[in-house]
Amino acid sequence: MNKTININLGSIFFHIDESAYQKLKQYLEAIRRSLSDDPQGKDEIISDIEARIAELLSERVKNERQVINETDIVEVTKIMGQPEDYAGDEEFFEEQPKTQKSRSNKKLFRDGDDKFLGGVSSGMAHYLGIDTFWMRVIWIALTPFTSGMNLLLYPFLWILLPEAQTTAEKLQMKGEAVNISNIEKKIREELTDISAQVKEGASDFSEKVKNTDYKKYEKKAKSGLQDILETLGKIFKILFKILGKFMGVLIIFIAASTLLCLIIALFSWVSFEVIGFGGNLVNFPIFIYDSIIPFWLLGILFFIIAGIPFIVLFILGLRILSSNVKSIGMTTKLSFLGIWIVAILGISFSGIEFAAQRAHTGAAIFKQDLVVAPSETFTIKMIENEELSNKTRLRYNEGYETVFDGDQMKLLSNRVQFDIKHTDGNVARIKIRKSAEAKSRLKANTLAESIDYDFDLTENNLLLNGYFLTVNNNKYRELYIDITVYLPEGTTLYLDKSTYSFLDDVRNVQKVHDRDMPTHLYKMTDENLYCLDCDEDDFGYNYDPNNDNFKLQIDENGILVKLSNNADSTAIKINKSGITID
Amino acid sequence: MKIENTKAQMRKGVLEYCILSILQHGDAYTSEILSQLKDAELIVVEGTIYPLLTRLKNAGLLSYRWEESTSGPPRKYYALTENGILFLSELNNTWSSLVNSVQAVTSKKPTNDEQDN
Repeated sequence: MNKTININLGSIFFHIDESAYQKLKQYLEAIRRSLSDDPQGKDEIISDIEARIAELLSERVKNERQVINETDIVEVTKIMGQPEDYAGDEEFFEEQPKTQKSRSNKKLFRDGDDKFLGGVSSGMAHYLGIDTFWMRVIWIALTPFTSGMNLLLYPFLWILLPEAQTTAEKLQMKGEAVNISNIEKKIREELTDISAQVKEGASDFSEKVKNTDYKKYEKKAKSGLQDILETLGKIFKILFKILGKFMGVLIIFIAASTLLCLIIALFSWVSFEVIGFGGNLVNFPIFIYDSIIPFWLLGILFFIIAGIPFIVLFILGLRILSSNVKSIGMTTKLSFLGIWIVAILGISFSGIEFAAQRAHTGAAIFKQDLVVAPSETFTIKMIENEELSNKTRLRYNEGYETVFDGDQMKLLSNRVQFDIKHTDGNVARIKIRKSAEAKSRLKANTLAESIDYDFDLTENNLLLNGYFLTVNNNKYRELYIDITVYLPEGTTLYLDKSTYSFLDDVRNVQKVHDRDMPTHLYKMTDENLYCLDCDEDDFGYNYDPNNDNFKLQIDENGILVKLSNNADSTAIKINKSGITID
Repeated sequence: MKIENTKAQMRKGVLEYCILSILQHGDAYTSEILSQLKDAELIVVEGTIYPLLTRLKNAGLLSYRWEESTSGPPRKYYALTENGILFLSELNNTWSSLVNSVQAVTSKKPTNDEQDN
């Protein structure tokens, strides 16, 4: 028993066996494909052929009820000829007869059967004879190198490259010879593909309901509304798919570029360090230098910590893009996780170790009286070490520099700052505080002591070094020099312009900011400095000169309230002798 | 090189000429053309003719009209256009000279010189 199908062939009605129908359909399809070279006339030729087949079939049909079976179709195809006969004719009349297609004679097409966006990658992959997956990887991997230019290229290729539509084109794309046996092979492949898809769909619905029945049922049940809903559903499905793919591309792009950056960073860092060049060029996280773990190992650990999540992300993105990518195995996953955790532990250890290195702050303090002639102006200047350092601007940047003192490699730092304070005594003093951090207080103290710092006093000029020297490996031990200059009341002070940026919050009456203080004359009052020649512009924003006209003093002598307005002044004194107003 | 290919190509080369010649004697529909060509053993399978007819028609050498048929689907009757007639007469000349040339070459007797050697 066979199911029959009603067909309209060349405007004639036929009953036809299902199997015979399939055969006829395949035959016509094969002819259509083999006629690829003449797209304009194709439909016309096909309808002519259909009409002729209809004619031949109607000759074979004795009465209306007779059904066309496979034998009829075989007979008809025998008369009509194999698809290659049609194609062969075409070829012969081509301006340039086609030579036998060899594997090397491929054409670049887009592959519509294996496409993610436009099938450009898969087409190129066929052309190059590699797997489509790798072609896509190459596209993505190229992006950082071409700074995204290849992404612009893609739409062009999409537009310019024709899609392989006919079997002949598909074969050309894959580099197989375009002959009838290959075309048949290709068609058979496609048919199996289609039937597999149909079967899949059917089994989703129900295994018991046969494919065709299901389709009929579906057609009957479909109302207009359902139709619309279904279409909408399809549209959404496609939109989501596109969105998903887009996300996939984004994820891959981000992951790939990050990984690339990490690799470049790792290599450049390690090579900088190996060459011994990076010292002042790049500022790395400070604890790297003090770590007992070698820097290259640290670098790899950092790379692993940052890289593994992106590797996972990359694989995830690939899986979104292409279902061909298999999930990474459980073992791989666990080893990734293990390596990651070990790396984190390694860095943590290094961090803790580093913290311990700087657990204690130590200091060495040096004091000396300064012999200053009180009547003359006392000048403070900063001097730099022009022999060791070639950085001409004093303290342009705060930081370190590795220098060679003779054959010795030393660290030159400009972390020096000074303050000026009032002293009750009659003699000016200087206090130098050197500080450092180390594992223990004792070590820190010793380290601080070892800092090489100097100053000079000549003829009322205090020359402070704007730098200090220490052993080279003391970087990031928080080494500082804090200087305090104590001046008695009445001393006139001039801050040289070289002190710019070395001043540390020097208090003064007019609240002049540190950066405005140099190149001005000051007088030490009973409290702090009073600027003698500053402009009003230099005064601190919260300094109000009028406030100075009101003075309230409460001490062991009693209470003094003084109000002054330019020349006039009024004072109220409350003391042992009573209240006086003058 | 396969002998079948060469044979097929020889036949195909004159197919256009033959189709135009058939139509010279009056309009014909595809099956008629086919049966004449088959009788003359110029074609083996029918499929060959369709692309050819379409090509000739597109080249403006043929025109066609539909005629209802009692026994089957409507038939396409082909007729020569004026261009087609000119084309055919040109081919006629070419063909006769070609036949002469081929005849001359293939039936050429060995020369006396060659016999002497």
